[in-house]
Amino acid sequence: MMTNFNQIRDEAKAKGKKRVVIAPVPMEMDFSALSAALGSGLISPVVIGSSDALSGWVRGEGRRASEIEIIEESDSAKALGMAIAMLKKGGADILMRGAMDPNRFLDTVLDKEKGLLKERVASLVSVFDPPGVERVTFATDTYINGFPSVVEKITITENVIKLAGVLGFASPKIAALSAIEQVNPAIPSTLDAAILSKMAERGQFGNVILEGPLDIDCAVNRRAATRKGVHSAVTGQGDIYLVPNVEAGYLMAQLSVFIGSTPMACALMGVSRPVVLNLPFVPMENRLTEIELAILLCGRL
Amino acid sequence: MIRSFRDMDRLASEKGPKRLVVLAPEDEEFMMAVKSSAEEGYTRPVLIGDREKMERLADQVQYDISGTEQIYEKSRQAIADLGISMLFSGEVDIAGKGQIPTAFIYRAIIREESKVGKGKVVSVISMWDIEGLEHLTCFTDTGVNITPDYRAKAEIVRNAVFLFHLLGYPRPKICVLSGKRGINGDIPSYQDYLELKKAAASGELGSCEMMAATSFLDIFSPGGRAFRLDGVDIGRTEFPHIMLVPNLATGNILVKLDFALKNVRRRSLVMSSRGPIIIPSRSDFQDSILGEIAAGVTVAEQIKGGTAS
Repeated sequence: MMTNFNQIRDEAKAKGKKRVVIAPVPMEMDFSALSAALGSGLISPVVIGSSDALSGWVRGEGRRASEIEIIEESDSAKALGMAIAMLKKGGADILMRGAMDPNRFLDTVLDKEKGLLKERVASLVSVFDPPGVERVTFATDTYINGFPSVVEKITITENVIKLAGVLGFASPKIAALSAIEQVNPAIPSTLDAAILSKMAERGQFGNVILEGPLDIDCAVNRRAATRKGVHSAVTGQGDIYLVPNVEAGYLMAQLSVFIGSTPMACALMGVSRPVVLNLPFVPMENRLTEIELAILLCGRL
Repeated sequence: MIRSFRDMDRLASEKGPKRLVVLAPEDEEFMMAVKSSAEEGYTRPVLIGDREKMERLADQVQYDISGTEQIYEKSRQAIADLGISMLFSGEVDIAGKGQIPTAFIYRAIIREESKVGKGKVVSVISMWDIEGLEHLTCFTDTGVNITPDYRAKAEIVRNAVFLFHLLGYPRPKICVLSGKRGINGDIPSYQDYLELKKAAASGELGSCEMMAATSFLDIFSPGGRAFRLDGVDIGRTEFPHIMLVPNLATGNILVKLDFALKNVRRRSLVMSSRGPIIIPSRSDFQDSILGEIAAGVTVAEQIKGGTAS
């Protein structure tokens, strides 16, 4: 299992160069992660957009500029459509969001017919490299689904298990979080967590240990859990945290980043090809890790 | 102004002892904390609970309670009712929850509040002392209301504003946290934010300032501009005093992340109109329970003596 982001980097390097298509690029965007990936020999980029917007970056790359393929298309929607078509035909391995707002980008990318949606729902997994912890950890869904139903939570769970598998977690320990550790019909997320937990017990998620509902103190601290009378292999040892809704997920991920100084990179799951979303709450230092996660997902989705 | 938990501890030992009624101290961690609070000079406890259990636990933690006022009662609801009525009548300054289901305490508080004509929404305020931040901050409501509507949220904010006024912050900054992000339009918690902003502007929430931020990204990186982890400095950020959480599950998850974060300490209490009620989580240990008692002592002192300067 991946112990930290450096190991993800090493594994990604061993995969060989991947073709990343970036679309659309109608204006200036931050190219630093792309430059780093290009510099490390991880990717060969294809950029679909306006060459005017790209000239600064391309010039800055010096002799590596020749490795950047540019397809001129000033219409954003068309540029994205071309990129998706390229992925489907095998002309590229990874899609990266350019300078289009996430809402419009995801509307197209998550379209079942025209886009890349593969499972019932797509979900975002935040991967953390917590200081002092011997492995990376996961939280999901931290962005896509607002208030998922239990049916959607099943897919969200399958999505993160798939990512964890790619990162070498053969039997991940999963905490289905809620406000309390008891099943209470007044708090619907405790019911969802209990259902997921029972499904896992019956082997419906494969080789995982899933415990829920757990409150966060029981999930992250075994002593606290014991004090509450919760005894489980997951308490204090969780690899994956399933959040009850996006308010918890989106804010918890940010709290870990901004207050906990925890490195975080995200991966979009439930799609047929790796997609790098480049979301604003991901630290610039970790944008390269997002590309590396996408590289590890090539051929595994 | 009380800027840190250290300030609270200092004030608690300077201004203590305060009368603390302890509701069912029938757990070792809790009894230890009560003992320490008496030894530190924070409190003069009154213990209500099952005689046999209290005596056995006191013995276990080597706490001589022979000179401590004790009321023997086994019924959980009766313990809660009696303790909270003592707080409201002014017999004691602080109430503290031991081994009693929290719902019993909330019920007793609501009953007493309605008697004094308040009928307030009961809410838990969880303060955080974050390394590098020059003032206290809090999350609320982290314990009672599962999915509060706008009206309940306005009450929850008012409760926290009352607390921060007591702690010496004349115009606390409020951040209404929301999962609103770039996709899928506005969600209910964001609509609530828009309403609360109006309420704050019209003075309905008391003296406070509503921030434009609704997420930590907004707080640390206004406008969603790119940021670097090594450039994050909470001391140079406009950080809120009060963070309203959208719902209980989110609040609980955020506030108890202190178990995973190394630079954060937490102390929670319920602010009633007559005084603070300490309600440690069942997973809290004696150090944090003692800290919560110190917070209660501080707040009780401020209620008696006006706001801190």
